[in-house]
Amino acid sequence: MKMRSSGVSRRQVLKTTIGTTAGAAAYSLGLGGRAPAYAQGNATTIRVLSVEDPFFFALRDVIGDFTDQTGIDVELESLSYDAMQARLVTSFVSNTSDADVVTVDQMWTGQYIDNGWIRPLDEFAAGDADLDITDFMPEVLYSLNTWRGHLATLPVAAYAQGVMYRRSVADQLGLDIPDATGSWTWDAYTDTIAAMNGQNVNGTDMFGTVICGSQPTPIVHMFTQAAASYGARWFADFPASPEWDFTPTINSPEMMAAVDQYARLYDLSPPEAINYLWFDAGTRFSTGDIGMFYWWTPYFYLIKNNGYMTGEPSVVADDYGIAPLPVAGSTPQVISLGGWSFGIPSTTEKADAAWEFLKWSTSAATQKAMGLVDTYNYQFSDFARRSLYDDSDLTAIYPYLGTQAGMLAQGNGKIARPPAPVYTTLEGIMGLELNKVLIGQQTAEEALSTMDDLFLNTLRGNFLIPYSLPSFDDTPEATVELINRLA
Amino acid sequence: MAYLPYLLVAPSIILLLGLIAYPLVFALKNSFYFWNLQTSATPVGFVGFANYQMVLASPAFLNSLINTLVLTFSGTALEFAFGLAIALLLSTRLRGMSVARALLIMPTTIAPIVVGFLFRYMYDPQGGIITWLMASIGLDLPAQGILGSTNTALLAILIADVWQWTPFFAIILYAGLLSVPVSLLEAARLDGASAWVMFWRIKFPFVMRTALIILILRFMQLFNTFDLVLVLTRGGPGTSSRTLGYTLYQQGLIDFNIGMASATTWLVVIIVNAIVGLYIFFAFRKWEW
Repeated sequence: MKMRSSGVSRRQVLKTTIGTTAGAAAYSLGLGGRAPAYAQGNATTIRVLSVEDPFFFALRDVIGDFTDQTGIDVELESLSYDAMQARLVTSFVSNTSDADVVTVDQMWTGQYIDNGWIRPLDEFAAGDADLDITDFMPEVLYSLNTWRGHLATLPVAAYAQGVMYRRSVADQLGLDIPDATGSWTWDAYTDTIAAMNGQNVNGTDMFGTVICGSQPTPIVHMFTQAAASYGARWFADFPASPEWDFTPTINSPEMMAAVDQYARLYDLSPPEAINYLWFDAGTRFSTGDIGMFYWWTPYFYLIKNNGYMTGEPSVVADDYGIAPLPVAGSTPQVISLGGWSFGIPSTTEKADAAWEFLKWSTSAATQKAMGLVDTYNYQFSDFARRSLYDDSDLTAIYPYLGTQAGMLAQGNGKIARPPAPVYTTLEGIMGLELNKVLIGQQTAEEALSTMDDLFLNTLRGNFLIPYSLPSFDDTPEATVELINRLA
Repeated sequence: MAYLPYLLVAPSIILLLGLIAYPLVFALKNSFYFWNLQTSATPVGFVGFANYQMVLASPAFLNSLINTLVLTFSGTALEFAFGLAIALLLSTRLRGMSVARALLIMPTTIAPIVVGFLFRYMYDPQGGIITWLMASIGLDLPAQGILGSTNTALLAILIADVWQWTPFFAIILYAGLLSVPVSLLEAARLDGASAWVMFWRIKFPFVMRTALIILILRFMQLFNTFDLVLVLTRGGPGTSSRTLGYTLYQQGLIDFNIGMASATTWLVVIIVNAIVGLYIFFAFRKWEW
């Protein structure tokens, strides 16, 4: 394995060229269809572009196993979230992609597949017993990996959202917080936070909670969980509809309730949270002056460290509990699902080797090995496979896995953040307008009215209203059918 | 042989056209097309001035323009003023000036993105050194932190930029001051000229030409500020620190709306060239070329 290697030796080029040529020649001669180069004794090197989320560090530590098992070398390069998307899109458009495996956010999947930038994986997955596709949680595959009825990517890390709270603070203040089997409302959640706010607990002045206020993406990731819980939806009919209708439904009572709720939470947060990115909120909790907050499930383990992937224990490491997300009255709970997936670019000439990597990195064995890496104080429990949530080795390290599995099972990433074709533009609009509400530049009513207008203009301007391309009734059931078909 | 001079300069001209004109012409063409990479890998159709209309109608553009102008004019002026003061100090024969000159170049060599991270930590409301220093001298800081307040976010970016680029002015202006003939200064001193008169009548005219050039270079550079904004505030809170550079990044590399990003690019080109054109007209009209 090589890390961030920008130079390529002549030997590597020669090996790769020989391997690729041999593979192509075998293919063109009809010698066994997709005959992988590595299977013919030729060394192959694949280049993997990964975003630098926690899974990357665990994967990096076990990636040598892949080379040992397959003989395929891996050049693993990591990038930030924004840089990844910018690099991928510009390289795809200019046909200069040098990667064989790329990390794909669920919001990019439709764009990449529709533009032909990544290959659908149906052909690879169909009948490949090693994949064990039925072990993947269908909610995860639906939210992260399918587009128009095709398997586009495979999940390497799956996130839900849940509540983290300080046990000692709750105990000292006599506050009841439901366990994994219980439930509570957003009002009860806010009341509990308000009861913690401003209290001095063991010499620490507490803030009730912490939110992400930075625009555009962090604030939208956190806010949309509340919005989904309140039953708010972005569009009239998408994606679970035979006729997609992108008419915005942003200016709704449910969305209004969610904005009000989020503003209340900001009032109970440190004021500087207005500028907080993803890690800032989690890191703040781990410093010990936050009573409770909700966020992506990787923070169930990240907050054990005193900084992002430091490996040093935080003051809350042995003093926090996990609770279910609140619900809004009788509205059925919808939990936002996110995470990261690997896909195969259309430009790669090493698709078979890339597929081997996808299978290996998302396999139960590799994911378990990633969970057992202790370099950073055990920092990976984002499993997309059901079997790992019952694994005794893993539950001993991550005791919350049962609760997390329940959160994933309630997940629907396509409702919380619908992957519409211009999602990132809409996210930018939503993030900015929400941010303005929090700093008091406008009211929630004004923000929703502006958002609705801008959504409408953007969607019309991009020819998505009316939608003239073929729709696909994208339901969780359709994903289950796909899994059964490919199994 | 009459064509020989043209032939000799032709390669340079062709290279220049290729490197400068082609991207601009390509952007100009794209600005008249609907091309959003989120929905299509290729341009969809000719839309005339629709992209320009959308950019100009967007409140974010006007906010960005105002912030950019505030940042650019104040940043250039402050960096020049501080840079000149430091250059004058460097030109004195005080102890330790050679070390100071060596240290001075360091901020300029750091990538702006790194400067952004450094200042993000220094502005941290929980123990950031700038926050601590300002609080220690009794300044009333916003509860949201320096980066979290609409009143101070742009100022915070300005301070980081001034920290990084003032040494650039100082070093260039110091080089200009070195060109002042010592005999001239000696003669003035013998004539009883005060320090102010020596600066204003002798030193400043000598560095004036250098100053005019670096002022405009830095102005153009600062107009496109993006890195610091991305790391420190992402244009927020609200749009209080959003610059045209950040808006372009948002349109081009987040929204992937190539048509709109190209239109914004051309609006920036027009605005910068108008300002630079006026500057050159007034600043350089007395120059003998």
